[in-house]
Amino acid sequence: MSSTLEIHDLVVAPPGLAPVLRGVDLRVEAGQRAALVGPSGAGKTTLLRAVAGLESPAAGAIILGGVSQTELPAHRRRVAMVFQEPRLLPNLSVADNVALPLRAGGVGRARRREIARERLGEVGLGGFAERRVAGLSGGEQQRVALARALCADPELLLLDEPLAALDPNRREALRRMIVETQRERGLTTLVVTHDRSEAAELGESVALMLEGRIVQHGDPREMFERPASGAAARFFGISNLLRLPDAAAGDLWAIRPERVVLGDGPFRGLVVEAVYRGTYVRLILDWAGQRVEAFAAPGEAPGVGDEARFELPGEHLWRLPKGSSPRVGSVERR
Amino acid sequence: MSERRRGKLIAVAAGLLFAAPLAVLVLQAFADSWRAPAILPQVLGWRGFEVAFGSGDAGEALANSILVALAVTAISLAVGWPAARVLGRRRLPRNGLVFLLIAVPLLMPPYLAGFGLTEWFIRLGIDSTLLGLILAHVTFALPYAILILLSGFGRELESLEEMASTAGASPGRRLRWVTVPTMRPTLAAAGLLSFLVSFSQYGSSLAVGAGRPTLPIVMLPFVQTDSQVAAALALVFLAPCVIALFVSARLQRSPL
Repeated sequence: MSSTLEIHDLVVAPPGLAPVLRGVDLRVEAGQRAALVGPSGAGKTTLLRAVAGLESPAAGAIILGGVSQTELPAHRRRVAMVFQEPRLLPNLSVADNVALPLRAGGVGRARRREIARERLGEVGLGGFAERRVAGLSGGEQQRVALARALCADPELLLLDEPLAALDPNRREALRRMIVETQRERGLTTLVVTHDRSEAAELGESVALMLEGRIVQHGDPREMFERPASGAAARFFGISNLLRLPDAAAGDLWAIRPERVVLGDGPFRGLVVEAVYRGTYVRLILDWAGQRVEAFAAPGEAPGVGDEARFELPGEHLWRLPKGSSPRVGSVERR
Repeated sequence: MSERRRGKLIAVAAGLLFAAPLAVLVLQAFADSWRAPAILPQVLGWRGFEVAFGSGDAGEALANSILVALAVTAISLAVGWPAARVLGRRRLPRNGLVFLLIAVPLLMPPYLAGFGLTEWFIRLGIDSTLLGLILAHVTFALPYAILILLSGFGRELESLEEMASTAGASPGRRLRWVTVPTMRPTLAAAGLLSFLVSFSQYGSSLAVGAGRPTLPIVMLPFVQTDSQVAAALALVFLAPCVIALFVSARLQRSPL
């Protein structure tokens, strides 16, 4: 069974320190997979730990399936968590590690070994039940941790940068496994990552966290194309925040660098920087004092000092909400 | 020289260092007559043990020493555990100062610390009692116990405990399934050292334990008057230490 997660105005402040969470609001519908993304230090892990019951909030509410979790101790919450490190007990076998939540739930030994084996099979570690954890690779250990979380049969699955410690190949495989497992079980899932592309892949929706608040939550495409603020735009790689000649003064328009069309068009800019990046050339244009970033194919890129014509297709231009971006100036002047 | 051979050589050297005085001790304990320049004793016998346990209070001293050392070990672990836990989290204001205060007894000669304690014990009515001895020894064993236990309470243990909580384990089960198994080697080492600190305590026992003999107190006078009895007592002294070492080693094996 999975349940809707609601977080209302959550504040976490370590004693004597500035608050890490400054009023978080977030809603993840039952059976949905949400990715929580943001720069390091934004409070993502703290939010996950608070939902798991490992941090006590100073204010606010955490509600799962309509039941307040805020006052419940961690072991009473119907929440399973996969940490950045596998956190396996080295004195137990793989199967006993996986079965830990069942043991805590009072399931008999034979039955819990049976379930543990099933879960291990689901994460592709069928023959590993009797092994010691010490001999496993990092990716295998993290899969054991995932199997353990599934064994808890939770209403909510929390994943804290589960791929961070893995090399790129293993990361890809585990990412696919997380998505598939979640989909099959329809398990409400909140996964933390600092990587925006990973967030787009892992989350059916993406929530951006900046400085202890969720500043935007929507589907991945919206986050990449329709940022709610200059800071959000910058996090999702939109370096172009521009004032357009025929638009209202004070309006700021965002456009992704890969959407800027070079070669023809109504605007002219001076190439001030051209960096070869293997599959493309990254260009910085000076457009009447504004900085425009664009990508060109290696054979067709103009050089530094050349004049380049470009177009800003209207369907890819997005007007930032008013007053949302005090930092845009710094982007321009960079 | 290969790594292996060097290791063997070091082991042999260490063994010799330990065995040489021990061999003399064993010979001496059973040497009813041993005059230089003979390499080996002329007459072997049990006189040393007969005198020690016959006229001396070695029997009572042995019982006292073991009883006190076991109690000291239990108290040091029971008090040292929460103390190390709190100190290990480094969340106390003036963490360093608290630790320094705990270690202060180690900076004082044991006899003087015991002397000071006696004044208090007289007023509390527990001077010359086993309880007084135990409390005096705890003063010296506890800092060691805390110091060793501190090494086990760290980020790694905390992260495993957090995992157990999110896996649904209640605080009691978390303690049994995660904390104690993880801490077992550290507990064994802290327990062993507490036992040995108490068992070999001389100065503070002398000051506090008038009328309550312990092994070191009984043994020392014989060192000057009758070396055979002293050697016999030293062997008796050694036995519980070896047993403690063995138990501790067993508990440390197959650690996490």
